[in-house]
Amino acid sequence: MKLFILLLTVPIYTASLAQQLNFKTDIATAKSSYSSGKLEDAHFALQQSMQEIDIIIGKEVLKLLPQKMDTLSVDTKADNVTGNISFIGATIHRSYGKGDKKAQVEIVNNSPMLGALNAFLTSPLLAGLGNDGKTKVLKIQGYRSRLTKEDNASSDKPSYRLEIPFSNALVTLNVNNTSDNEVIAMANTIPFDQIAKLIQ
Amino acid sequence: MYRLLVCAVIALFFILVPEQSQSQGFLKKLKDKANQVADKALDKKIDEKTGMGRNENDNTNTPGRSGKPMNKGGEGLKNTAPPDVIQQITDAQKAHDAGNFSDARYAVQQAILGVEIQIGQSILKSLPAAVGDLPKDTTQDIVMSTRWGWANLSIQRVYKKNDQQLSVVIGNNPMYSGMMDLYFSNAYATQSNGETQNMKQIKVKGNKAAIKFEASEGYSVFVTLGQSGMITWQGINYATEQDMMNAVNVFDIEGIKTKLGEK
Repeated sequence: MKLFILLLTVPIYTASLAQQLNFKTDIATAKSSYSSGKLEDAHFALQQSMQEIDIIIGKEVLKLLPQKMDTLSVDTKADNVTGNISFIGATIHRSYGKGDKKAQVEIVNNSPMLGALNAFLTSPLLAGLGNDGKTKVLKIQGYRSRLTKEDNASSDKPSYRLEIPFSNALVTLNVNNTSDNEVIAMANTIPFDQIAKLIQ
Repeated sequence: MYRLLVCAVIALFFILVPEQSQSQGFLKKLKDKANQVADKALDKKIDEKTGMGRNENDNTNTPGRSGKPMNKGGEGLKNTAPPDVIQQITDAQKAHDAGNFSDARYAVQQAILGVEIQIGQSILKSLPAAVGDLPKDTTQDIVMSTRWGWANLSIQRVYKKNDQQLSVVIGNNPMYSGMMDLYFSNAYATQSNGETQNMKQIKVKGNKAAIKFEASEGYSVFVTLGQSGMITWQGINYATEQDMMNAVNVFDIEGIKTKLGEK
């Protein structure tokens, strides 16, 4: 089992090391381009560095996420981190479980959904108007969140979506075949304080 | 005689009663006016004491409806130097080596801001000092860089004389170019009545472009720059399409492209 875990972590660390090397190369290129007055080359190298650092941060966040959510084990093959520079920032994806029950964590930096969600969470009027009986506002580890029951054909096994906004990132937890208490318990295993320090 | 006396009394009654009610109306008006004057005097006194009042002789200090005084001037903010790029890059390297990735990201962001502002300023310097008879109005020069959301770098320059104005905005903004690509691939926005049309595709110095005319806005010309940039000109009070194009052709589009790193 130990050997299995070791074999599993080696590729992640190797990839992370490669990313860090890329960052060092790009940032050094940016510095030398800037020093020689090539502003546009420096700009491009800095943008590359930004993407690299977003990916490094994403991988650090993945390390912070729990190995299990309730009975669902992590599916590291589905781990995904992308660094975008334009509309939205980095996105981090993690899946738990296989088969008919899955939990998925998605963290999107600079998400376009943030404004609307924050308005919903902070304005009682909006929350009242937008409430269709399938949504409730609650606090997870002190962070205001919105829990939504998704439409599902079999109502005894519904899906839930929990959204937690940070100042510039949106964390979403999607779980199917579950109950609201189970989703809240799963969300409480995510170390939000530590993640917030990294992504803000 | 008695009858005559009764008639006289009745006649006098009909003459006097309206006069009496008229005088009552007059008295009421006088009383209202006196009250208004007294109220005004009282308000003025209170305003003087609180320092929030309306000074009727001084129209420049007219307050808003809330009684808050209006801002009349102020020097504004002074330009600060853009972030020190080398310092920010060094900070990013140090933070990264120490495993402090959030700080490294912030420093890289600041370095990008610094570089973008310098690119913007060098583009502004390269723009012509005058376009036709219109000299540049440097008070309206803007270089804006935001590492947040949609707009990255936008540069604005205005040329102005009397009621004629030409403004140019240069940006490496994916939003603009996406919009223009949409236009070039299907010209949905064009209207034509057979003699005139509101928008058409043209070429400016070999670059794909579009020109638009709105009676309330004047002429606008859009030129896409490489993959993600765009220049827009807006000409107010230009007589003809040719006049507008002559103004646009003064600009060195290839030079701007090179500075923005576009091909």
